[in-house]
Amino acid sequence: MDRIPPLRHARGDGAVNNRLRVLRAERRWSQADLADRLGVSRQTVNAIETGKYDPSLPLAFSIARIFEMKIEDVFSPNGTGP
Amino acid sequence: MDVSCPSLYTPRDARNLRIFNGWLLGAMAMFVAATILLTKNFVAPVPIGWVLTVATIALLALAARAYIVFLRDADELLRKIQLEALALSFGAAFIFMLGWRLCERLGAPKLDVDDPFIVMSVVWALGQWTGFRRYGMRGETAP
Repeated sequence: MDRIPPLRHARGDGAVNNRLRVLRAERRWSQADLADRLGVSRQTVNAIETGKYDPSLPLAFSIARIFEMKIEDVFSPNGTGP
Repeated sequence: MDVSCPSLYTPRDARNLRIFNGWLLGAMAMFVAATILLTKNFVAPVPIGWVLTVATIALLALAARAYIVFLRDADELLRKIQLEALALSFGAAFIFMLGWRLCERLGAPKLDVDDPFIVMSVVWALGQWTGFRRYGMRGETAP
């Protein structure tokens, strides 16, 4: 029988890296500011920043649009940057 | 669940959760009242008993509908937490039901029809608490 996969998001080892915290800090936005702009909770922004949760594709596109960047400039597969 | 906590819920989620809680409280109050009235034979005419029963079921259905609306509209992380908690509670109740049937054969008290529901509710609440902790902001500072 296969093992139940570990909760990979629980320890901050999500499959996707992101620059959310840096981009947000450059604009002097709080997590709450960004959450308001995205229409999500502050917990969601925090969980994405800390790598506990990888956003859905629509939310990732929304994040990229808000920062006026391409999605690959914000997110990258784990281990490759940006 | 702390509905007023702005970090966990968007305003839309908080509103939908309040609506669900309202229907659920109404349905539970109606259930308790109907149970008392029907048990004590306060409602002698049969049609009134049926009206009470149908009204209670209708309120429960409205509460279930409100929860589905809450879940569909929920912030995506909140939805994930809720779905994980629901899966956990369903699994726990399923295991409890089948496991207890075997325990009955070994002499355990007979299972009441409500018991799996209690297990399901408790594990659902625990699952939500665990989810909020797992994806939560322990040790994290805002902004």
